[in-house]
Amino acid sequence: MADLRSSLRVTIARDADVVAARQRGRAVAAEVGLSRPDQALLATAISELARNVVNYAGRGEALIEAVSQVGRRGVLVTVSDNGPGIDNIEAALSDGFSTGGSLGLGLPGARRIVDEFDIESKPGEGVRVRILKWA
Amino acid sequence: MLTAQQLNSDFESKTEGEIKKLLSWSAIEDADVERIASIASVSEDFSDAVIQKFYDHILSFEEAADMFASESTLERVKRGQKEYFRQLTAGVYDQKYFAERKRIGQIHETAGIGPALYIGAYAFYLNQVGLELLERVGSPEEAFRLHLSLLKLAHLDMALALQTYVEARETTIEAQQREMSELPTPVLQVKAGLLLVPVVGTLDSHRARSLTIALLESIQSMRARVLVLDITGVSAVDSMVANHLLQTMTAARLMGAHSIITGISPTVAEALVKIGVDATSLNTFGDLERGFEEAERIMSAHREE
Ligand SMILES: Nc1ncnc2c1ncn2[C@@H]1O[C@H](COP(=O)(O)OP(=O)(O)OP(=O)(O)O)[C@@H](O)[C@H]1O
Ligand SMILES: [Mg+2]
Repeated sequence: MADLRSSLRVTIARDADVVAARQRGRAVAAEVGLSRPDQALLATAISELARNVVNYAGRGEALIEAVSQVGRRGVLVTVSDNGPGIDNIEAALSDGFSTGGSLGLGLPGARRIVDEFDIESKPGEGVRVRILKWA
Repeated sequence: MLTAQQLNSDFESKTEGEIKKLLSWSAIEDADVERIASIASVSEDFSDAVIQKFYDHILSFEEAADMFASESTLERVKRGQKEYFRQLTAGVYDQKYFAERKRIGQIHETAGIGPALYIGAYAFYLNQVGLELLERVGSPEEAFRLHLSLLKLAHLDMALALQTYVEARETTIEAQQREMSELPTPVLQVKAGLLLVPVVGTLDSHRARSLTIALLESIQSMRARVLVLDITGVSAVDSMVANHLLQTMTAARLMGAHSIITGISPTVAEALVKIGVDATSLNTFGDLERGFEEAERIMSAHREE
């Protein structure tokens, strides 16, 4: 049933959705108790991942969830798409690598911002990135 | 599992498989479809009576009475209702059926009939249908089973109509946002050769592009030497925004103007550092006052040349 909690699932297909995903993420982060600067940082990381979906896959979605573990809470964001995928993940994660003529800082930047970062991709089958930031 | 994307009401592009998935999500099985189709002729008989009661009910409310002020409008929607009921009980739920549901949803949305009115009226309607079935179908048990099958379809209908409402709303909001992002970015001439650009809101790629163009045109028409980009009003940055700012600065430089960025908040600064944007390349100078000082310095250096 988790799939129907559409308030936490944001379809990403255009610029406005990137903003929506960022705002939802920020709201959940506030609810969970992340500090204001950390809320902004998480919003930036979500922005990077969602922007990549729009730019490279065309369409995908972000799932934003509050998670808890003994004594702490955090926000888990899963951004996924069914686009072309990434051939060389290691290269894509290094500073300055871009096939889009941009800065190439999105993925490595998002990784530096969060506490846990996990990326999975098979060429032709899309990308799934999971990021987690603790309060 | 079913995602919001699959429920998306763009039925013209829906494949048979996707429609099957929608039906099975609502647990609509062949048995339901057969059961409903088996009473097609019975329902033909009572549909007029149900529709009459339905409109008697909603027309007792002033708002609805206003909407159906003319006799011909009322007749037209009654005919539409009858056709809807025919389709609902025909047992064929294909692309055409779903596309029709979407069209009806849109009509309601445009007419300002919100979800509360829609679902309330639907409940009244189903209630009447249930009563008719009790009277006309063999046993109460059979009538109950029939009604359960109809309820499944009715709920799928309502889900699709709600989805249409949401999508229509989103389209409106997006259009408004686009409008806002097309507002001319003010480029203020502080004095001869010095331009100030207050950047506010979110810099999406569309907006960033129009900002760059507005700036470059102003540099040319106002013969600017220095450009102060104040981003106090920008709440969030990412690498794309940083890239747009850098490109704008480079383009301005090609046109003979220096750029200075002011008003970076501590959170924006931290985000830029974490992402890894080279701070020196952005040429930032604290607040507006510091920015103007630097602008003066650059302009006087030029005059001495
Ligand atoms: N969802 C995705 N689908 C396919 N390829 C992707 C996806 N996300 C990233 N990539 C690839 O990984 C590269 C690096 O991504 P990253 O976000 O780090 O940089 P960028 O998007 O090119 O530039 P920036 O984010 O700094 O504007 C991209 O250029 C692209 O080739
Ligand atoms: Mg990127």
